[in-house]
Amino acid sequence: MRNYIALAGALLIFAGSLAAQQKQEPWKADQLMAPKALAEKITKNQAGNTFILCVGPDALIKGSVDIGPGKDAESVSKLRTYLNKTPKDKEIVVYCGCCPFDRCPNVRPVFQALNEMGFKNARLLDLAKNIKVDWLDKGYPIQE
Amino acid sequence: MASAVVVNAQENALKVGDLAPEIDLLTPAGQSFTLSSLKGKLVLVDFWASWCAPCVEEQPELKALYDKYREAVGGGKFEILGVSLDRKKENWAQCIEKFQITWPQASDLKFWNSKAAKAYGIEELPFNVIVDGVRRVLAINLHGKELSDFIGRYLKENK
Repeated sequence: MRNYIALAGALLIFAGSLAAQQKQEPWKADQLMAPKALAEKITKNQAGNTFILCVGPDALIKGSVDIGPGKDAESVSKLRTYLNKTPKDKEIVVYCGCCPFDRCPNVRPVFQALNEMGFKNARLLDLAKNIKVDWLDKGYPIQE
Repeated sequence: MASAVVVNAQENALKVGDLAPEIDLLTPAGQSFTLSSLKGKLVLVDFWASWCAPCVEEQPELKALYDKYREAVGGGKFEILGVSLDRKKENWAQCIEKFQITWPQASDLKFWNSKAAKAYGIEELPFNVIVDGVRRVLAINLHGKELSDFIGRYLKENK
């Protein structure tokens, strides 16, 4: 019985820490955008009303704007200025692609800022591994 | 012998025992630098970039490693070659300056289009390769203690 209680306790702690980890992310699961979806949008010229913002190494996605590394306060400040007069329902897609999210220092400060500014249609491009594997190697559109 | 971990799945991925492709890129000063110029030395080829946080975090460790084996470096037995996948030269140069990196650095500043990244079949950073004096690949993607132990053991066995 004592073992069961210990096991239940351990499971509770594990579940709690898992929930805490999930809570830490400034984006929700449904805010992740599949690279293919964005690529199709760009290819079909349907990205005209979407801001595509790079907060990582190189703004190579076609039509994207280079904000600078999201880990730098200067970049977040630039983001705030850039979006100062943007309607809060504008679709904004943020991407980095330096490395998987668990190692990326750039996406969280930026997404947090978007939340604070009240943007309701902010998305994070789901580059699970990096910009090379999940965008370049797939032949998705890049800047001319 | 430390196990070598190959993390990339491309067909042209490098394997232990392969002859490492030549690297011929420019230093920050704009001079050509080749891997073959380090013939006869154990070389740690460190692929990195200023935009790659884990790579940047590793630079102080490499500096400690370089310092630890400075006699081997001075004796022509060991060298590190940093190959950057940066796009912007100023970012690359700032990082070298910040960490006071003294080992050779080379890049074509072409991000993932770097010819070295393609030749080595690199899928993600950080990535490194250890080659012997005739450019034979001895290990791939060793980091931390595993890397330090490998270098130490090799230098001891090949005095």
